[in-house]
Order: sequence, then C-alpha cells, then structure tokens
Amino acid sequence: MDPLLALALVAALVAVATIVGLVWRGTQGRVRRTTGSARLDGVVLASGATFVQFSSEFCAPCRATARVLDELVGSRDGLGHVELDVAERPELAARFGILQTPTTLVVDGRGTVRARIGGAVRRELLTAELDRVLGAPVAA
Amino acid sequence: MSRPAQIDPRGARFTASVTAVLLLVTVALGLVGGVASSLTARAVQPAFVLLALLAAVFVWSSAAGVARNPWSLLFRRLIRPRLAPPAELEDAAPPTFAQGVGAFVTLVGVALHLAGVPYGLVAAASAAFVAAFLNGVFGYCLGCQLYLLLVRAGLVRKAAAV
Repeated sequence: MDPLLALALVAALVAVATIVGLVWRGTQGRVRRTTGSARLDGVVLASGATFVQFSSEFCAPCRATARVLDELVGSRDGLGHVELDVAERPELAARFGILQTPTTLVVDGRGTVRARIGGAVRRELLTAELDRVLGAPVAA
Repeated sequence: MSRPAQIDPRGARFTASVTAVLLLVTVALGLVGGVASSLTARAVQPAFVLLALLAAVFVWSSAAGVARNPWSLLFRRLIRPRLAPPAELEDAAPPTFAQGVGAFVTLVGVALHLAGVPYGLVAAASAAFVAAFLNGVFGYCLGCQLYLLLVRAGLVRKAAAV
C-alpha cells in the first residue's frame, strides 16, 4: 500500500478511537432515571435510599465509586450502600441488564429503583439525584 | 483470596500508552507491507515481527502481572522517581486482565498473518490499539465491560463470599 494512504488510514484510526473515547467518557457517571421494582434478593434496604453497586474483580473505577458512595452514606441518615460482585450474583447482573462495572442503582425505601448510574459516579450529580429521591417518594 | 498487588495508576496509563503507540506503528507497517506470498517471507515482515514481540509482552505480563511488563518497569525506574507519590494505588488485577485480552487479540493477529489472511494482522493490531489507546488516554477499563460479558455469557462463575 502507498505509504501516504497508510498514514491517512492510521490517522483515521486515531480519530475514530478519539471520538469513541469522548463519547464513552460522556456517558460515564450520567444519572438515568428509572422506575420499577428492585427484586434484590438478599439485599437489605435502608429507609431512605440504598446504593446498590455492581462491581467486579477486574474493575479499576469500582473502588473509587465505593468510596464516594460510602462517604455519602456517612454524610446523611437513612442511606445504605451494598456492593455486589457480578461474578457472585450473575443472576442479578442479568436481571438488571448490567453491561459495565461499576453500575449503581439508587433504590428507595419502598424498593423502587429510582435511578441508575453507569460507570464511576460523579458526586455532584448523585447528590442532586439523592435530593430528588429522598424529597419526593413515588406513589406505589 | 490473597490481596492483589497494588500499582501506581499512572504507570498503568503509561504502559497502555506505550503499547498503543507500538500497536499503531504495527498497523502502519502492516498496511504498507501487506501480506508476503510465502510463509518464510511473512514470518520476517516488520509488522509481523513487531506484533509477535508485542504478543510476547502481553503473554508475559498477563501471566507475571502487569507490574512486570517492560514499560511498567521503565516507568518505575525512570519516570516515577521524578513524580510526586500517587494519590492512591490501584489493584493490579484490572490492567493484568486487559493484558490477557491483548495477548489473545495479538496472538489471533499473529496466526492470521502466518496463515496469509489479508488484513488479519492489521485488524487485530487495530483492535488492540483502540483498547490500549482508550485505556491510556481516557482511562477506559477493558475489564469493566469484557469480564462482565464473560460472566453474563456464563463463562465465569464465582462462589458467593460468606
């Protein structure tokens, strides 16, 4: 192949990878609002809201997410944090259609999944969501 | 379970970045060189030699741990002493898992090239490049998604901790 064409293709590969990276980074930590019953067997829910975090052994950002969630739990009453290993609870990973770790579900005291966050959580986005969940419970 | 080894996250990013650059060079060489007609000629093409070396590094660091990857060693010897201590350490398991994926993908490329498949080497090196690039530049974690797919596909199971 002509070296100039090869160079152009290599540049295109870098450009595509950059776009993929920017799009991926934009999705990380975004809060998606949901409704639906949790059916989380074996998970004890807190009265206000419980962060149910799906983690795995090979997940670098899971630890940072766990730390942020633990800090939030320590800062307010009525919150809980449960970390599940997807390899130990594959049925729950399948039930909730988990496609990446960490994925965090915000479950209210009635067992409704109110929000879902894919990727490392962003504290300010999560705090705002928490205000909403704790402030106005949905009608059952 | 033993506590996994801890590494400087900047070292992991550095390792991924060096790997990405070398894979990109492999892609360029593979595009320019094409696929030679005889097996012996294919086995000495520059793109093939480079990809085979990278595959060997991937195999080694997925087996021995990413901390023993040559670029990781370079980081620890030459770069880390000049930096402030890291804010926190990371488990070595996620990047080591990614090295295993890299080993698989590059070995497929090696095999395809030896078999004379057009663009086999280029495709494998490109895929490995994208993963290494996303890891090095954006902090993308391959194990966060790929390992989960293995779990979801029923290929990986772990007894629940008591």
